[in-house]
Amino acid sequence: MTRPGKVIDFDGTQVPFEAGDTVLTAVFRAGLRPWGGCLCADGDCPYCLVTLGGVSYVRACRTPAVEGMKVASHPSGGYPPLPSSTRAPTGESAVGFEMVHCDTVVIGQGRSGREAAAEAEERGRRVATLDARAGTEAVGVYPGPEVVARTPEGMARIFSEEVVVATGSVEAQPVCPGNQLAGILTRRAAEGLAASGVDLGRVVSVGRPPEGVGHEPARGRLVGFEGEGVVRRVVTRDEETGAERAYPCDTAVVGLGSGPRDTLARMAHGLPGARAVGSAAGHLDRPPVPEAGVVCPCSEVTVDDLRSVWDRGFHELELIKRSTLAGTGACQGAVCMPHVRSFVAAGGQELPPSFTARPVVTQITMGEAAAGWYHHPDRRTALHDEHLALGARMERSGGWLRPWTYGDADREYWAVRSGVSICDVSTLGKILVSGPDADAFLERIYPTGISPLRPGRAKYVLVLDERGYVFDDGLVCREGANRFLLTSTSAGAGHFEMWLRDWAEAWKMDVRILDRTASWGAINVTGPRSGEFLSRLGAADRLPPFMGHTEMEVAGVACRVMRLSFTGEISYELHHQASESRRLWHALMESGADLGVWPHGLEVLEELRLEKGHILVGVDSLPDSTPRRLGHGWAVRMDKADFLGKPAVARTSRMELDRLLVGLEMDGGPPPQGAILRVKGDYAGFVTSTTWSRVLGRSVILAWLYARDGAFAGDILIDGRPARKVAVPFYDPEGSRVRA
Amino acid sequence: MNEFIEAQVAFGWEDLRSSYDVVIVGGGGHGLSTAYHLATRHGMTNVAVLERGYIGSGNSGRNTTIIRANYGIPEAVRFYQRSVDLYSRLEEESGRWIMHDRKGLLWLVHGTPGTRHERARSIVNQAFGADTVYVTPEEVRQICPEVDLNAGGGEYRVTGGSYSPHAATARHDRVVWTLAEGAMKLGVHVHQRTAVTGLLRSGDRITGVLTDRGPVAAGVVVSAVGGHVSTLAAMAGVRLPIRTHPLQAFVTNHYSRSFRPIVASADMGFYVSQTPRGEMLLGAGIDSQPSYSYRSSYEFLSHCSLPAVTLLPFLRNLTILRQWAGVCDMSVDLSPIMGYTGVDGFLVTTGWGTWGFKGIPAGGEQMAELIATDRTPELIAPFSLNRFKEDRLMFDPGSTGTTH
Repeated sequence: MTRPGKVIDFDGTQVPFEAGDTVLTAVFRAGLRPWGGCLCADGDCPYCLVTLGGVSYVRACRTPAVEGMKVASHPSGGYPPLPSSTRAPTGESAVGFEMVHCDTVVIGQGRSGREAAAEAEERGRRVATLDARAGTEAVGVYPGPEVVARTPEGMARIFSEEVVVATGSVEAQPVCPGNQLAGILTRRAAEGLAASGVDLGRVVSVGRPPEGVGHEPARGRLVGFEGEGVVRRVVTRDEETGAERAYPCDTAVVGLGSGPRDTLARMAHGLPGARAVGSAAGHLDRPPVPEAGVVCPCSEVTVDDLRSVWDRGFHELELIKRSTLAGTGACQGAVCMPHVRSFVAAGGQELPPSFTARPVVTQITMGEAAAGWYHHPDRRTALHDEHLALGARMERSGGWLRPWTYGDADREYWAVRSGVSICDVSTLGKILVSGPDADAFLERIYPTGISPLRPGRAKYVLVLDERGYVFDDGLVCREGANRFLLTSTSAGAGHFEMWLRDWAEAWKMDVRILDRTASWGAINVTGPRSGEFLSRLGAADRLPPFMGHTEMEVAGVACRVMRLSFTGEISYELHHQASESRRLWHALMESGADLGVWPHGLEVLEELRLEKGHILVGVDSLPDSTPRRLGHGWAVRMDKADFLGKPAVARTSRMELDRLLVGLEMDGGPPPQGAILRVKGDYAGFVTSTTWSRVLGRSVILAWLYARDGAFAGDILIDGRPARKVAVPFYDPEGSRVRA
Repeated sequence: MNEFIEAQVAFGWEDLRSSYDVVIVGGGGHGLSTAYHLATRHGMTNVAVLERGYIGSGNSGRNTTIIRANYGIPEAVRFYQRSVDLYSRLEEESGRWIMHDRKGLLWLVHGTPGTRHERARSIVNQAFGADTVYVTPEEVRQICPEVDLNAGGGEYRVTGGSYSPHAATARHDRVVWTLAEGAMKLGVHVHQRTAVTGLLRSGDRITGVLTDRGPVAAGVVVSAVGGHVSTLAAMAGVRLPIRTHPLQAFVTNHYSRSFRPIVASADMGFYVSQTPRGEMLLGAGIDSQPSYSYRSSYEFLSHCSLPAVTLLPFLRNLTILRQWAGVCDMSVDLSPIMGYTGVDGFLVTTGWGTWGFKGIPAGGEQMAELIATDRTPELIAPFSLNRFKEDRLMFDPGSTGTTH
């Protein structure tokens, strides 16, 4: 079906439009007057807001009419409804986004804006210009300076040295009875509509008359507008005689002067490189003190409302704003603030300078604001696809996506405890420290002896902050006199690296710190048959002893092999170039098929380490956990000359111990993490880690236990069930399995 | 006329006197609440609250108005639950409408570690008087059908969460005004545009304040300052373990009210509620760089909008109205600091970080009791400044993350 001419649908009415029309122009051309209030047709007032394409608060005066467009006015006397969709839109084109770098941004392309741009270009500067009337609207000016703009292509973030605000002037709005009737225009709005050929009917102008618009000037001072919904009369008062006179009209045009359109200028104020020019930099003449009528149309605040809160003691401009909400609606005070300021000044109150303007000046959608941004990246190891291929369920852990389980926890668990298993531990922090001062540096960093550690040996270490609290743990592997490989927790690696660099800098020590966390992969081969398994892969005879490490090839891949144990079984961590991870993983999976080699995920690893009583820093520890509170006093050598946190550890160890991380066992199923410990009915702590131990046939738990009367009670109940305080490890306390 | 035009509260401003029994520095929620409770609970009315700007001009007028007690440690759950209870009675007690609205808070998680964490939260909450429960994705859907449980095409699949029915919002300014008016009606003085520039001393004791309107003697000086608290404390020779960071927020335009609960996701890093006026109000975590700046950033709009439209797709087409910032006094253990300072005549209530609004009624009530009785009430004893010396910090996993 064809339609004669081009039309838009406005509230169900077919409205024809001409080339170049905005929605507002087309609506006026059709003789409709749907909007009450004095329209500015220039993006300042809040009156011509419509809903378009599911987006409300769109200005009809800034929206070019497009064939077939469906436009709805906002519901009268209420706000638009929230959209109801519960699903992300599909197939919708993404909002465009670009970063722009230039020397000068000029906002506004009126006379002073054009001059500023030309002047900057003459100086040889790269200039970007924004012109709201041409569809490139500034959203805000931010520190940088940075100007954010919405363009027909999408969002743009513009970084420059200079920001020139040349937004021109804004026309004063009338505050008087009847100012919310339809059919009232500012002078410039009337001129624009008339120039587009819109018939405004019988026009009465008040104040400075419009040019190019046939009109009858109303003499005297504006008193108000009269009419039912639409203005029918303009009422003025003769200043000398006091006589009032009503001028019948179809359209009232108001020329009450103008002030700076300075929202962006105030936003930019104080930012290096930002300045306002032309009318935008001008001074606002305070309008007459308002006497009656609506001051703030967005929040429906009248002059009487201002008086009412004033009489209640709200005398500060900001308090008046907050107690009426004047100035906090869709136009952000563009209409009302000059009048409210005049009102406050009339009360004898000192006026603060115009408040700092806050972004945004052009209302973008949240979808637009999200353009060009990314979710927190969750890092993936080189083996991500291998895990998925094995059916792994991935979980976020310490900033990484890691396999939680491959679907059969029993199989994963028993592969470790009775056969051989592999685990992707590439996420571990891996940092190389070398240089002439490396040994002395680490001796100061760690609370345990580093110098006695021989090449080829490794040691478990806590990392303390200056307050003597544990914030990480890991291993130190000495490779040579002044060359070490350090490991840290997966979640803490980034912080640990910065920590090392900060101290190297502070102590002015000659060390090199190289973060290999991302570039090296690591696979833990663990289980009673892991030695036998690795021997097949070319590692026979050369495998390091417990807490030893060496370099060797495994399945043709160059590895640093560390023998240690987190799982409680013999374990070899194979550190290698991440580019070799997949080759190594497949070699391990394939050559161990007859041994039943099968990977385990974090869920089972959690059980394995808990059976050994190994703490997870950040899970079992609190940010104020001293080594003593964690039961890790053995990892601190107070007879060392110095180490980070030593004075704090010395101070706190003289205090009475108030809480202790303890091992608990329970018959029956494990209580949940966070379960509360009670002693004689009183709160006595909480569970940090908990699991059913398949190998022990009971639940094993790490928990914080609070001291009562200086002692740590043994008669603990969790969820009404007794929990036995026991020494850790729960499993293989002699450690014979890891040393086998 | 809109229903937000204040039609109940009326202030009676008085002239500044040269001496008061108690001078409270800072006319925000905590300072005014302390004055209110001194007057209403202890009959102490020779009290002045000195405010550099206008009352509620700091964080009390910039926060996201959430009231909740779903904290992570027993001491905090007890304290904030007291505040939740006092808030819910404030309208009846004062006869003033603070727009208190018990709307419930959903704290969503997107994986097994988060699920465990929220279960743990519900356990400690229930044990200490807050009604937080663990909820399944299906229950999430019933409480808030707008949530896309498969958010981000499954990348942020909702695996559960905790739900705190007690959580509420109240209009922040009205809380400030109600407390100010209630105190003033009983004789307390509130002085705006009165900046404290120094402290008066006699020997080791603080005996008053110097202001830009002259000296004011005081039996006790209480710092209820937000933002520049470290500066004021330094005047008394007190060093506080506090750093001040900006915190940003934004609102959309107004929409008819239909979004009921407060929804938060720490994993995704934002929270949202609909205000009584109909704006959608969004916030996230503090800016990492310490600063006193009130400037907003566009990064904040982007990094807060993206997860929000991912989890709640209906937000996508809402238009942003305004963004702003406040500054937060972050204590090293992310818990408030209330009470004695070791300097005679000088008390603090500070370290209110991003949780200050929640603590206004209970913080003021307890500080007033401390001042009136010269004894630290049991409820706030764990939050004394001494804890840093005594190595008994109050690290609270429930106060961190993004949701305050």
